[in-house]
Amino acid sequence: MEDPLQGDFPEVIEEYLAHGCMKSIAFNRRGTLLAAGCNDGSCVIWDFETRGIAKELRDSECSSPITSVCWSKCGNRILVSAADKSLSLWDVMSGKRITRIVLQQTPLQARLHPGSSKPSLCLACPLSCAPMIVDLNTGNTTSLKVSILEISNNGPTPASRNRCADGITSFSPTAACFSKHGSLVYVGNSKGEILVINHLDGEVRAMVPIPGGSVVKNIVCSRNGQYLLTNSNDRIIRIYENLLPLKDEVRALDDLNERLNDLNVVEKLKAVGSKCLTLFREFQDLITKVHWKAPCFSGDGEWVVGGSASKGEHKIYIWDRVGHLVKILEGPKEALIDLAWHPVRPIVVSVSLNGIVYIWAKDYTENWSAFAPDFKELEENEEYVEREDEFDLIPETEKAKTSDVNEDDEVDIVTVDKDPAFSDSEMSQEELCFLPATPSCDAPEQQDKFIESSSKLVDSNNSGSPFSEEAGPNEHTMNHNLSPVEDDAGGLRIKRKRKPSEKVLELQAEKIKKPSKSSKSSKSKIKSLVDEDDGNGFYGDALSDE
Amino acid sequence: MSTATEFKPYSLSQTLSGHKRAISAVKFSSNGRLLASSSADKSLRTYGFTNSDSDSDSLALSPMQEYTGHEQGVSDLAFSSDSRFLVSASDDKTLRLWDVPTGSLIKTLQGHTNYVFCVNFNPQSNVIVSGSFDETVRVWDVKSGKCLKVLPAHSDPVTAVDFNRDGSLIVSSSYDGLCRIWDASTGHCMKTLIDDENPPVSFVKFSPNAKFILVGTLDNTLRLWNYSTGKFLKTYTGHVNSKYCISSTFSITNGKYVVGGSEDNCIYLWELQTRKIVQKLEGHSDTVVSVSCHPTENMIASGALGNDKTVKIWTQQKD
Repeated sequence: MEDPLQGDFPEVIEEYLAHGCMKSIAFNRRGTLLAAGCNDGSCVIWDFETRGIAKELRDSECSSPITSVCWSKCGNRILVSAADKSLSLWDVMSGKRITRIVLQQTPLQARLHPGSSKPSLCLACPLSCAPMIVDLNTGNTTSLKVSILEISNNGPTPASRNRCADGITSFSPTAACFSKHGSLVYVGNSKGEILVINHLDGEVRAMVPIPGGSVVKNIVCSRNGQYLLTNSNDRIIRIYENLLPLKDEVRALDDLNERLNDLNVVEKLKAVGSKCLTLFREFQDLITKVHWKAPCFSGDGEWVVGGSASKGEHKIYIWDRVGHLVKILEGPKEALIDLAWHPVRPIVVSVSLNGIVYIWAKDYTENWSAFAPDFKELEENEEYVEREDEFDLIPETEKAKTSDVNEDDEVDIVTVDKDPAFSDSEMSQEELCFLPATPSCDAPEQQDKFIESSSKLVDSNNSGSPFSEEAGPNEHTMNHNLSPVEDDAGGLRIKRKRKPSEKVLELQAEKIKKPSKSSKSSKSKIKSLVDEDDGNGFYGDALSDE
Repeated sequence: MSTATEFKPYSLSQTLSGHKRAISAVKFSSNGRLLASSSADKSLRTYGFTNSDSDSDSLALSPMQEYTGHEQGVSDLAFSSDSRFLVSASDDKTLRLWDVPTGSLIKTLQGHTNYVFCVNFNPQSNVIVSGSFDETVRVWDVKSGKCLKVLPAHSDPVTAVDFNRDGSLIVSSSYDGLCRIWDASTGHCMKTLIDDENPPVSFVKFSPNAKFILVGTLDNTLRLWNYSTGKFLKTYTGHVNSKYCISSTFSITNGKYVVGGSEDNCIYLWELQTRKIVQKLEGHSDTVVSVSCHPTENMIASGALGNDKTVKIWTQQKD
């Protein structure tokens, strides 16, 4: 049963998460957990339902900023790349690190192979050399070709440990991503070419030149594998349709290569390329010509989202796949650095330069018909016309009031329908969808306090009662103001805020931004926004979990 | 697929006494190894199986732990999915989280402004839902104990709350005669079920596949509703229920039945499809206010009010 929707995309900031300084985020496959890599080398896993911290992955060997976070398909593993040139593979449930590999250069992005449940291969895009496939068990790396000109040489370069392939002599990083099942890698190079590469040997099987030939900054596959997105230096986001079959794509590519064998190498690659991808749409902002950051698809591929941090802004553009710009979300004046769309729900999560994670969701308008089904909501006044028998003593319509239900029909109370959104999950048995929640113990004094105050009704300010006590039964939860001071029960408190108050929303809407003191301490800035509003809340420092 | 086997009657196999006042709820844990009961005597008790032989004739329960701490009587309780925690709802306006093996109190959830009447964990057990006489339904974060949402659910005391199979929906019922379905992640009301007459609803629960809800009303009726269409499909009558919030449940371990308590001190078993009463279990000396079916064995647990104060275990005769 779904919420009645007008447009399946988010509209306002619903909440924000703060814990240390987060840099890079990723949802697990079902969107129940959100992993966030931090500035200090740790990775925090949020329970997205409760908006609380479910686990922290912390490693004494890594204290450099995380550059990317990636879940394995089944949710059991997380791969983290950091600025100290390392890749770390973690087991989520136990919170233990499985392996750590140090590369020659800092990987800006690392992606686990999507085809298996306990992947040992990953794709790493280092700072300024060719992307490589890294075997996490052995540490071996296979560099991928980044230029079709390399093919004409004698065979593939032998896979050797820690040596970057001599590719294009440019210092800009090359973007790469796996295809849906991971048998192919799409590489976007600095000549504006998309190379389709077999991940096993690193060889180019097809090439698609992007119009304009501008350096490719990001390349992303949609979840269903049907679309490919490129983000180029010419400030255009391009959507390509994937023409290859999702399974057996390597074989289809080989077939194409066979058939076009009479052409020379370069021509053949282009010809095969034209059978792999076809340009579908281009998105750009013609007026401001912003550089896009972290563009990606919505879970169902219906929407494309791109962030903008130009002039330090925090803006999110949402297009429908056909190309219409449907929404521009504007956040507080802290540059946007990362973006992710929830796999299933119309929710977008963005990270600001200050390390705060903002959750954007639909602005909910109460559906009154849900509360009173025999009433219908009207957009405007309607003239009511009585029925013929409206004032009859025994109206016709009520005479025959037979139930149209046959109670003898069989009902099935046991069979469960499969969730259509996850129809491709063959591995749902081993999938990790959530982390068990262990309640933290109340400190003994707290319990006495609770007993005392249970007879008092609303005691806001500093008694430690949850914010929602202030709500009467008829107040909608979304309009709640900020939570009051958190009790230090058990030493576990994460600074967390509900939907910003009216005043903050006003500020956002009118785009009157507070002059941003180039804030190193984000907490004080938010505090000032907050204090203005209700004066009684204060936030302790964000404490880490255990 | 209807079972061809004939219905084997249940008979009393054990009586567990210990509570000093009326029982309010009994529940089996989802791993089937424990039974818990709550009472107006402000305590909870758990019982475990002593005999681990699966083919032994006697699957006997013996008392394991007592959980004390509430200031007033307890109306409801629930196990977490891994059976490690119990949550209880009390007239002292709090919910309490207990560590099952040790009996110690872990957490107290504050926020309701009147008696807390019903409670349940979601299947992931990271969230608790509770309903209260203050007419609201509250959603709590297990880990921190914070109240995540307050739903303006009803205009009368909330009598029951339940999560569906994947934890995405919450159903609530109330004396105001309504059942409401809520989106668990956003707190938005999805649907309200009403009929021509709305007698106070004393109980509601999702079917195992979460497509239907079982609704008990204080006009001596139990109904099975398809909440998507808003129509009820089955009606079960013959029992007495006009005063108390009596819980009922599905029995699916050996054929499909609906089991419910009654104010005539009996437990009624109806065949799911035909709605016929297949058995009336007698033995309690007061209203049977709660029943629970074991997840794998053909076993029913029941608890009764103040004149009786016992938990009774009923099993099917082995051939």
